[in-house]
Amino acid sequence: MAISSRHRHTEETWMRNLFIGVSIAFIGLLILLPVISVFTEAFRKGISFYLTSISDPLAMSALRLTLITAGVTLVANLIFGLAASWLIAKFNFPGRNLLLSLIDLPFAVSPVISGLVFVLLFGARGWFGALSNHGIQIIFATPGVILATIFVTFPFIARELIPLMQEQGADEEEAAVQLGANGWQIFRRVTLPNIRWALIYGVVLANARAMGEFGAVSVVSGHIRGRTNTLPLHVEILYNEYNFSAAFAVASLLALLALVTLVAKAALESRIRVEERPTLMEMEQVES
Amino acid sequence: MAIDARHVSKSFANYVALRDVDLHVEEGQLVALLGPSGSGKTTLLRIIAGLDGPDPNPDTAVIVDGQDILDRRPSERRVGFVFQHYALFRHMTVFENIAFGLRVRPRKLRPSEPEIRRRVDELLELTQLGRWRFHYPSQLSGGQRQRVALARALAIEPSVLLLDEPFGALDAKVRQELRRWLRALHAKIPVTSVLVTHDQEEALEVADRIVIMNQGRIEQTGTPDEVFHNPASEFVVTFLGHVNLFHGRHGANGQAARVFVRPHELDIERVPTSSESVFASVLRIQSAGPLVRVELATEQNDPITVEMTHDRHRDLTLKAGDRVYVKVRDVRVFVAAN
Repeated sequence: MAISSRHRHTEETWMRNLFIGVSIAFIGLLILLPVISVFTEAFRKGISFYLTSISDPLAMSALRLTLITAGVTLVANLIFGLAASWLIAKFNFPGRNLLLSLIDLPFAVSPVISGLVFVLLFGARGWFGALSNHGIQIIFATPGVILATIFVTFPFIARELIPLMQEQGADEEEAAVQLGANGWQIFRRVTLPNIRWALIYGVVLANARAMGEFGAVSVVSGHIRGRTNTLPLHVEILYNEYNFSAAFAVASLLALLALVTLVAKAALESRIRVEERPTLMEMEQVES
Repeated sequence: MAIDARHVSKSFANYVALRDVDLHVEEGQLVALLGPSGSGKTTLLRIIAGLDGPDPNPDTAVIVDGQDILDRRPSERRVGFVFQHYALFRHMTVFENIAFGLRVRPRKLRPSEPEIRRRVDELLELTQLGRWRFHYPSQLSGGQRQRVALARALAIEPSVLLLDEPFGALDAKVRQELRRWLRALHAKIPVTSVLVTHDQEEALEVADRIVIMNQGRIEQTGTPDEVFHNPASEFVVTFLGHVNLFHGRHGANGQAARVFVRPHELDIERVPTSSESVFASVLRIQSAGPLVRVELATEQNDPITVEMTHDRHRDLTLKAGDRVYVKVRDVRVFVAAN
């Protein structure tokens, strides 16, 4: 008995170590190594070159456009994601499944094609091409970049929220109605607190994608330096000009933005925990 | 406050849940809507609460305290509702769950913070939940959650209280306790209450009156005694507990009839004492419980169940395989087939 159980124990340890090893090797090779190489390449020509590269007016303008795009996208996705998830999860209506499939569309379609669709719609000879005659420039301008980014990122929040909201059902909302709450109170006091983690996670994912989006933005932006270049597009231009160190310096900026997003998420999480802590303390007092 | 629901019908896409139902509940009573699943009882409750609307019909009315509340929104009805799966707010403590209905009131009608605390404390005491006030629903047992749900519904001082299968998800022992507790609570706060259940034992034990529903209609309304001893239809007989079915003839012209006899209204004898005794063989004896339950089969292989006291069982010295006679002691229930 003892021998066989010890045997099984060693077998399990062996298996566990193997899986841990594979996971670490995988993460190291495919995630950690590239990130490290971005920063080593960025600093290859020294700190002063790095600082010049990232403070270059063209890089700054790309950074500004990326931040504006990510900001507008975030607000649009929040509104759309919440509305669509609420609708799909809590109500049954004709066309519900169609809407659900449509939300997945940006995941299924190549981003380049998404970009092309906007060129076809808003380009000079597109359906809404007449807009440019009235001085409203969409393609090869900031609005086009924002539209394309919203298109490729809008499934993220809805996709996070819908399964959770469906699982939670509408029971708590019904109870809130019954207790006299109005629509806003139900959303603010019942629905939102129940979905906040999924919402934060969806926002982080959508934001990371919005800042890093290349394909769709590349098609609609026109690569006008200093005007319609986002950070990823600027990195590509620098790279194509064999300006590797500058390319990696700007790329490191993008990586830092991703880090900021993660830190912001962590900060938000801990703030919510702090809010909850007093009740836990009160709880212990009552129990003691 | 009395409830008077008139001509309530409700059809869904592929079935009819309620067919022109009239329900009357006297002020201060605790009424059980009893029926199998799909009989429309929960739908009726949800219509009274305003969570569902009845089929449009000018004659339909839901009158509480003399006023038709059908056009009012659920939030304006002052109806307390206890949901089947509690529907507690999972991110709120017990205290906040109970306080919710007071906190969401418009500013003018909202009680002050000390007043809210006082009222919630009162309810915590009433439901014996004081110790758990800062716990979250996930930290509570089923019975505790049910009491939180009840306290939350009572916090808005409802004119009527509606309970949808309140003990459905609890184990047998907790159900027993909560039933008794609910009865005591109702004696203390006699708010007009309607309770939905599919458990006849629960309805018989808890309710002042029972409304038995089947396929969207009310089959019978009455006190527990009335419906149990004078069932109005075959459905009521069979639904209110185990019955034995005998086929027979009835009346001068020998009309075919179906006779229902409850297991405790039968007796077993070794020697037939009447020409009406039925020959049967003992299949199984189950003696763990307040009564001994004997399962038998007639020569035609129809099942019969007899319940007797332990004393009687000892006198008979029955065992499986015995061939005996079953005698009808009391035919209270007799329904002619139509």
